[in-house]
Amino acid sequence: MGGQPVIVMEGVYKYFGDFAALTNISLNIEKGQKLVLVGPSGSGKSTLLRAINRLETIDHGRILVDGQDIYDPGINLNQLRTRMGMVFQGFNLFRHKTALENVTMAPRKVLKMSAKEADRRGLDLLHKVGIADKAANYPAQLSGGQQQRVAIARALVMNPDIMLFDEPTSALDPEVTHEVLDVMVALAREGMTMAVVTHEMGFARQVADRVIFMDQGQIIEEAPPALFFENPRSDRTRTFLRQILPF
Amino acid sequence: MIQPYKKRKIDQALARQEAPPPEKPVTIDIADGPAIPRPSDPGLYSAWKFVMIATPLIMIYLTTYDQIGGFIVRHLPEFFWRGNFLEDWALTERNAYRAFFFFMPDGFQVTFQVTLFSIPVAVFLGVITGLCRISRRRPINLAASIYVEVVRGIPLLVQLFYLYYALGRLITIPPLGSAVLAISFCYGAYMGEVVRSGIEAIDRGQREAALSLGFTPFQAMFYVILPQAVRTILPPVGNECIALLKDSTLVSVLAIADIMRRAREFATISYDYFEAYTMVALVYLFLTLLLSKLVSKMEGRMGSYERR
Ligand SMILES: Nc1ncnc2c1ncn2[C@@H]1O[C@H](COP(=O)(O)OP(=O)(O)OP(=O)(O)O)[C@@H](O)[C@H]1O
Ligand SMILES: [Mg+2]
Repeated sequence: MGGQPVIVMEGVYKYFGDFAALTNISLNIEKGQKLVLVGPSGSGKSTLLRAINRLETIDHGRILVDGQDIYDPGINLNQLRTRMGMVFQGFNLFRHKTALENVTMAPRKVLKMSAKEADRRGLDLLHKVGIADKAANYPAQLSGGQQQRVAIARALVMNPDIMLFDEPTSALDPEVTHEVLDVMVALAREGMTMAVVTHEMGFARQVADRVIFMDQGQIIEEAPPALFFENPRSDRTRTFLRQILPF
Repeated sequence: MIQPYKKRKIDQALARQEAPPPEKPVTIDIADGPAIPRPSDPGLYSAWKFVMIATPLIMIYLTTYDQIGGFIVRHLPEFFWRGNFLEDWALTERNAYRAFFFFMPDGFQVTFQVTLFSIPVAVFLGVITGLCRISRRRPINLAASIYVEVVRGIPLLVQLFYLYYALGRLITIPPLGSAVLAISFCYGAYMGEVVRSGIEAIDRGQREAALSLGFTPFQAMFYVILPQAVRTILPPVGNECIALLKDSTLVSVLAIADIMRRAREFATISYDYFEAYTMVALVYLFLTLLLSKLVSKMEGRMGSYERR
C-alpha cells in the first residue's frame, strides 16, 4: 500500500509497575485505513489506543503521529491531540453541557472559534450523526446510543486525521448498538482513518482493512478480516475466536 | 458476501459483561455540622420548620411578654384608674431580654462582618488548597498537605489566639481584619479538603475527554471539572460556612465585640447572664437555620441539569 502513515508505533513498551501492559508493539496505520483491535479483556487494547494520544505515557519505543514524535519535547501536545479524535466506552460527555455545547466547546476554547461559527459546525455534525433535534438536551436526557453519537460528533469537530474508538458500543443496550455502528460505518465510507477496539465482529468484517489480535500486551496476529476470521494462523487467535463466535 | 452484524447477539452478550457500572450520583456527607433540610428527609424537614417558627416566636415572647401579657395584666386596674399607663411603660424597662436585644445590634453587625468577609476568603483559599492537594507536583502538593494537617491538628481557639497575636507583631491591621484572616486561614484548610474530594469525585473520563480534544490541563480543570465539581462541593461548603458562622463566636475572646462578646459585656453589668445567653442561643439558632435553608435552595438549583 502506498498510503502515508498517520500513526507509526515502533517497539512500544508500557509497564504498570512490573506488569507489562504493552510489549514490543509495532504497527502502522496509513491514511484512510481502518484497523480493528480485538483481544481478551486486559490484553492491552485500551492502553494501546490511549498511548497513541498520550493519555498513557509509554516506557520504551516511539510513536509518530503525522510523522511527528509525540514525545518530542518541542511539540505542542494539546495541538497534536486535536489531530486525533477519541471516542470512549463510557461516552464521557461533559455532563454540565448540552449536546451542542459538548460539540462546540473544543472549537471555541481551543481554536478560539466564534460562537456562531462553532454552532454552525456543531449543528452540521449533530445532523450528520442524526440527532440535531436533541441539540439542546443535556447528556442525562439522552439515551446511551444518542450520547455516543454526540461523543462521535464532538470528536469529529476538530477535523481529526484519525479517529480512535475504544469499545464504543460496549456500554450500550443491544437495541441501540446499530445507531452507533451505522455512524461509524458511514464515517469509514467517507475515508476516515480509524482505529477501533470492538467486540462487534460484524463491524470488523464489514469495515476493517486489517484486524489485529492482541493478548497479554502483545500483537499475536495481524491479518485482513477474511483471512483473520476464516483462517487464523495462531492457536491463541483460534481459541479466542472460538470463544466469541458460535462456530 | 459479508453479513453485517450477523453475530450481534453473541457480541453483545460479550460486550455487556464488560459494560461499566451505571453512574451513581455523588454526594459528600459530612457527619458534623448543621443538617441541611432536604424534602427527601421528612423528619429533618419538619423539625426545621418547627424550630424555624418556634425560635422567632420565643424571642418575640421573651422580649415582649411583660408588655403585651404580664404588663397589661398587671397594670390593667391601674389603666382603668388613671386612664393610661405611659409612665410605667418607661419605668418598667426591667425586661432583661429586651434590654439585651437593644444592647446587641453592634455585636450583630460585627458577627455579620466577620462571617461575611471570612467566607469568600476561606472559599478562595479552599479552592487553591484543593487544587494544590491534587497537584502531581511534589512541592506544591506537600505545601498544601502540610497546611491542611497543621490547621486540622490545632484547636481553632488556639489558632485564633496565635494568628491574632502573630499577625499583630508583623503588621498593624485592625482587630477585625486579623480575626477575619485567622478564621479564613483555618476554614480554608477545611474547605480545601471538601474541594479536593469534590474534584476527585468527578469521573476521570471527563478530564481525558477534554484532553483528547486538545484542552490544556488548565482548561480541562476550569471548563470541565470545576463546573461539575461545584455541584458536589456546594452543600458541604455551605455546611462549612454555617460552621464558620458558629465558630465566629470564638473571636469574642479577642478584643472583638461580636454578639457573644456583647452578651458577656451586658451580663457583667446587669448580672442577667441567663437572659443574655438565652438570647444569644436563639439568635444563632435562627441564623444557622436560615442559612441551612439557603444552602438547600442553592443545592436544588445546582442539581437541575442532571435531573431535568
Ligand atoms: N492505570 C493502570 N494501573 C495499573 N494497571 C493498569 C492500568 N490500566 C490498565 N492496567 C492493566 O493493564 C492491562 C491492560 O489494560 P487495558 O485496559 O489496556 O486492557 P483492555 O484490553 O482494554 O481490556 P478490556 O477489554 O477489559 O477493556 C490490564 O491488565 C489492566 O489491569
Ligand atoms: Mg479496554
